[in-house]
Amino acid sequence: MLEGHISRAFDGDLAALHIRVLEMGGLVLDQVREAARAYADWDTGAAELVIERAASVAEYDASIEREQLTLIARRQPVSRDLRAIFALAKSATQLDRAGIESRKIAQTVARQGERPARPTSADVRHLADLAMSLLRRSLEALDRIDAGTASEVIASDEELDAEYAAGMRRLISRAMEDPQHLDVAMEAAFVLKSLERIGDHARIIAEQVRSIVPDEEPPPIRSPVDQVLKTPHAP
Amino acid sequence: MLDDRSQPSPPGAAGRDPAQASPRHPAGAERESGINHKPSGRVHAPVRLDAEGTRETIGQVTVPDPVFSCRGVEVYYGSKRAIRDVNIDIGRKQVLALIGPSGCGKSTFLRCLNRMNDTIPGARVKGSIRLEGRDIHDRELDVVQLRARVGMVFQKPNPFPKSIYDNVAYAPRLHGLVRGRADLDDIVCTSLQRAGLWEEVKGRLSQPGTGLSGGQQQRLCIARTIAVEPEVILMDEPCSALDPIATAKVEDLIDELAESYAIVIVTHSMQQAARVSQRTAYFHMGQLIEVGDTDRIFTNPRHRLTEDYITGRFG
Repeated sequence: MLEGHISRAFDGDLAALHIRVLEMGGLVLDQVREAARAYADWDTGAAELVIERAASVAEYDASIEREQLTLIARRQPVSRDLRAIFALAKSATQLDRAGIESRKIAQTVARQGERPARPTSADVRHLADLAMSLLRRSLEALDRIDAGTASEVIASDEELDAEYAAGMRRLISRAMEDPQHLDVAMEAAFVLKSLERIGDHARIIAEQVRSIVPDEEPPPIRSPVDQVLKTPHAP
Repeated sequence: MLDDRSQPSPPGAAGRDPAQASPRHPAGAERESGINHKPSGRVHAPVRLDAEGTRETIGQVTVPDPVFSCRGVEVYYGSKRAIRDVNIDIGRKQVLALIGPSGCGKSTFLRCLNRMNDTIPGARVKGSIRLEGRDIHDRELDVVQLRARVGMVFQKPNPFPKSIYDNVAYAPRLHGLVRGRADLDDIVCTSLQRAGLWEEVKGRLSQPGTGLSGGQQQRLCIARTIAVEPEVILMDEPCSALDPIATAKVEDLIDELAESYAIVIVTHSMQQAARVSQRTAYFHMGQLIEVGDTDRIFTNPRHRLTEDYITGRFG
């Protein structure tokens, strides 16, 4: 999709940017997985690792922005290439933000407060599974520049939002029944919110994929010969 | 051309080593991301061409109140058909860029507009080309007058072997546009000012035009063209022989001139077309493939051939 230029160097530059964003996506996916596991197992060691690796995620974002600027300056891309470069850079920004959310989850564990109740952990795990699935599929769509998969991700975000709302309702009910552990419930609410935001970032990545491939554009305006011939010349 | 959906597509980017395309990016260790690298179908199917090529131009070929209106224009050099069935309007006070690979017919079409193809032995033009509603091939139309109304600037600056003053004054004198020296002085001064050259040459108007730099010579040629108050200015790769600074000055001048004239510019530089024009027309193998607003052509062209050309995948 992004290859095929007469200039192989341009192909290489674009491919390098594309791969770099996908590498970043893989790292962020790991971060989300490890942060969710740390919360479920209340593993402070795993949480510390997530916090430590957050800097790497930020480095990726910064380097991708630099590569984007260099590509634009050197190649003056247009059309599909220009859309792709912007989409890749914006996707990197979304991944960076998803990485920040996973760090927040890990920080909750690292503060070594009281471990959440089992039902809360189960809700977090469930939402984390949904968020990771969304993120994984958005990265698959980005990998193949696949508008079909991207559209599925965009639709699936609604399901995650609904599960988030349901999880929050259950959390609030438990908090009302057990006000002595309100602080734990609030921390859990922030974790659920972080996971919901990760889903949003995955959806925005999918939207960026859709922006590269305008297969939902209106049909091209055609000016058939007979229609043009009927158009009168200027008087 | 087959529908790409019928063909297996290459794997995603994560399965590709960029070092194979470019030596500047050595392959790094690929991170295990858990992403499934199944190939997927492409989602942008190419436009199918029939046996004779497309007979439809994509985009808006007509404009309201055009200065030029071309219908069914065909040009033959002997038995060889150079351009086929071109239909396009040229709007007033705007720049239309003609782009396309070498030999696609864009300069041939440009030369139709002021009948410069008449000077080429064996060249025949068919179809209708109307300037302000009047057929330019009408036998009663004076072709010399036509070329005053539709001026032309060429790739290589070609000032006359005369003074700077006389370069600009030549055509107004020839066409009887002036009553006396004062009128002529006024036209020369105004034309050189509008061409952005006055301040650089006002103290040496008697010096030869050929003594100017390349960029100055080209602006002198533009001044010469506008001295007879044309309606349309044709430019055939006007900056290809100029350095970047001279190019920038000429492009700036084109921006200003577009406030007064219709301009049609042939250029091999996509970036220049994107910078200076409001409409862009893409030619391919003698056919007008697509025409439209420049912003749209360069961000989201409708025809696969247009996109392949402007993105450097073809040509």
